[in-house]
Amino acid sequence: MNKFAALAAVSTLAFCANAAQADPLKIGIIESLSGAQTSSGRLYATAVQYSVDKINAAGGFNGEDIQVVEYDNAGGATGAADKFKQAVADGVDIVIQGASSAIGGQITEDVRKHNLRNPGNEMIFINVGGEAMELTGDKCQFYHFRYTTTAPMRVNALVSAMKEAGDLGTKVFSINQNYSWGQDMQSAIESAAQDGGFEVVDAVLHDVNKIQDFAPFVARIKSSGATTVMTGNWSNDLLLLMKATGDAGLDVTFGTAYLDQPGNIANAGETALGHYIANNYDNTAGDASFAEDYKAVTGQNPIFVEPQTIFAIGALGQALEGLDFGGGAVDVTKIALALEDVTYESPVGPITVRKEDHQTIRPVVVSKVVKDAKYPADDTSMGFQSVGVVSGEDAIYPVQDSCQMKRPN
Amino acid sequence: MASMRNLILMAAVLAVLLIVPPFLGLGWQNALVNILIASLFALAFNLLSGQAGLLSFGHAAYFGMGAFATLHLMLAVEDGLGFPTPLLPLAGALAGLVVGLVAGYFSTMRSGVYFALVTLAFAELFHSLTPHLQGLFGGESGISSMRMPWQGIIFGSVLEVYYLTLGWVMLSILVLWAYTRTPFGRLTLAIRDNEQRVRFLGYNAHTAKMVIFAISAMFTGVAGALQAISNETANYALFGSQISAQVVLQTFVGGATIFFGPVVGAVSFTLFAYLVSDLTRSWLFYQGLIFVLVMLYAPAGIGGVVQHHMRSLRRADWTGLAKPYALAALGALLVGSAVIYLTETVAVLFGEEYSVNLRNAAGAYPGYHLFGLSWSPVSPLTWLVPLVLAGVGAVLLFKVRGTIAAKWEAMGRPETESTKAPDAAKLKGGAA
Repeated sequence: MNKFAALAAVSTLAFCANAAQADPLKIGIIESLSGAQTSSGRLYATAVQYSVDKINAAGGFNGEDIQVVEYDNAGGATGAADKFKQAVADGVDIVIQGASSAIGGQITEDVRKHNLRNPGNEMIFINVGGEAMELTGDKCQFYHFRYTTTAPMRVNALVSAMKEAGDLGTKVFSINQNYSWGQDMQSAIESAAQDGGFEVVDAVLHDVNKIQDFAPFVARIKSSGATTVMTGNWSNDLLLLMKATGDAGLDVTFGTAYLDQPGNIANAGETALGHYIANNYDNTAGDASFAEDYKAVTGQNPIFVEPQTIFAIGALGQALEGLDFGGGAVDVTKIALALEDVTYESPVGPITVRKEDHQTIRPVVVSKVVKDAKYPADDTSMGFQSVGVVSGEDAIYPVQDSCQMKRPN
Repeated sequence: MASMRNLILMAAVLAVLLIVPPFLGLGWQNALVNILIASLFALAFNLLSGQAGLLSFGHAAYFGMGAFATLHLMLAVEDGLGFPTPLLPLAGALAGLVVGLVAGYFSTMRSGVYFALVTLAFAELFHSLTPHLQGLFGGESGISSMRMPWQGIIFGSVLEVYYLTLGWVMLSILVLWAYTRTPFGRLTLAIRDNEQRVRFLGYNAHTAKMVIFAISAMFTGVAGALQAISNETANYALFGSQISAQVVLQTFVGGATIFFGPVVGAVSFTLFAYLVSDLTRSWLFYQGLIFVLVMLYAPAGIGGVVQHHMRSLRRADWTGLAKPYALAALGALLVGSAVIYLTETVAVLFGEEYSVNLRNAAGAYPGYHLFGLSWSPVSPLTWLVPLVLAGVGAVLLFKVRGTIAAKWEAMGRPETESTKAPDAAKLKGGAA
């Protein structure tokens, strides 16, 4: 385990007071790497390591290998704030986080304050999973880049692909978790109604991961007469909702955002068949070499949040190609400026950064759960089959009014 | 004599805390801020749990309230309110006191398990309510602010935050220590030892317990405030049961029966998290292991062990003890190494990196690297190493344990050790 050696080096660095700016570019992953949320935290970390290894194999940056340091935020914003300070002490240039919008909000604020207080020694935050609208709204800032979708992008894609497949009825039921993500989803569903030609017959916000019995909600869905249920629910809230619907024998089609979370398909079983998901990528949408290469290195197909993370680091690598600091100090602002201009060709289409709010304009893949899938999920025979790729231009929404980004001079 | 020695010791610690930090790296300065905050939190908690014998499982509530109140004051300062930055923790103290009085009034109506459950319920109430109060608590992303400059001090660097924290923690510790010397501080101990008797003596036990609860909550609020100032943000996760549990662990590992015990626990746990959390993914396992071992073999905590030795400093036969102690340390080291070796080996063998290698090796078991050496999972040496380490260590510990016990027995009980420990069984039962 050479992590011990790396960490020993990092610890010694921490000892030396205000160590001089090191030459290698340092990437810090602040994820939940212990405790209940470890599984998704590891996915991000694995994908970052995979992509950085690629850049390093091609010669690294600034005459050195890019270094990756993992920080365990122990699943909370307080832990993340603490590890962010440690990352500053270790001289990290780019912070990566994705598993939680709440932690993302914490880190983007920390980065903003750090950059205000340390001009000339800035940091970048690459957000690979926090989808809360406020990160590119109220809290938007120049040094934050969001390399994932948001609620309106997922909903718009779901609506257009499900409509094309003939699975989008005219009556849609919206059920979401009562916090910012769920609220974002609900308003996205409501505003997609007119263009999608459907009516939102009922909208529900419920407690997050506390409900054990979704039967009352299923009764409500039934009485509303909806044929489609749209939900941003994840983890247990999605599983139990789908199972309760299946148990009640209700024939509705689900449009979801997180059905591909590892374990979901195995847990839901046959109930999951025929339901939709909109995500950044699906292995059946792109060319097979992407999945094969990832599997050769990490032992599994790229799933869930891994593809978007790989694309983000890929775009970063492309930005670095055009920069040369001659082995001297790394100018993070120049990297941010270069990243704004990158057009990254992902297997499903180009990804660009919108300069006004640093949301990426990116294709959204809609897929459906089928039997005998090409890329089976969770050791079942079921898996996802892409039914449509919505291009970035079609999926994107206008910049939020609340975003007032201050650009560096 | 003893108090003089303690005074000198404290002055030395304070001098180190004042002089050394500017020469440390940012990482250590941060760690010190965390240690100070955790120490104050644990001390405030122990006023209730160790001194009054009321085990609270919901102290996160007052910690979080202190943090949020302070952040709101910071936001007001950002908007132009002329409140001096160094006095910000007063907001946390006030919030802790007020919420503590209300929560204390209800929870101290009962004692024992019922008391613990009511405190738990209060914390859980805040934890589930706060994400929905968008305006006050900022939803699940929380609220954040920025430290404003005051009188030429910018409060931008970690070092400035450190000294602010140090000042408040030292002041609070001083007040908490002075509290134990007051008649009311004595009454606190009396309530722990025999509440019925206190009532018979004419005191209103409920009011007294409520006041103790509120004071404990107030200092917890100060700790929360210091964390808010350090992180410049707070979200509803601060009310989580993890925060409440952490302070219980720290207090009991440090020693709930001794004034400075919780500080020992807080320092050890925070340092452990700082040094080990990024080194191995199994750090929480080790932390739990330490807790179990301390509860089993040193129920009075690390602080209790230290105090026991300090008290016998003059009379103990140190030359006679040196050898068995060294042997015991060696035994513990060997067993510890074996445990770490096995844990890390299991982590590697069941890790995703190894599963890739395993797949590529087509049937064979490939070697792996650990502790700078190469190992093979099928080589007997790989499994002999921990077996021998653990075996030798265990034999050493087993043998030397009797020797140490006999030596202490031969020296007799020190007369100063008659101060009554709280109902250890009750405390242990509560912590389990």
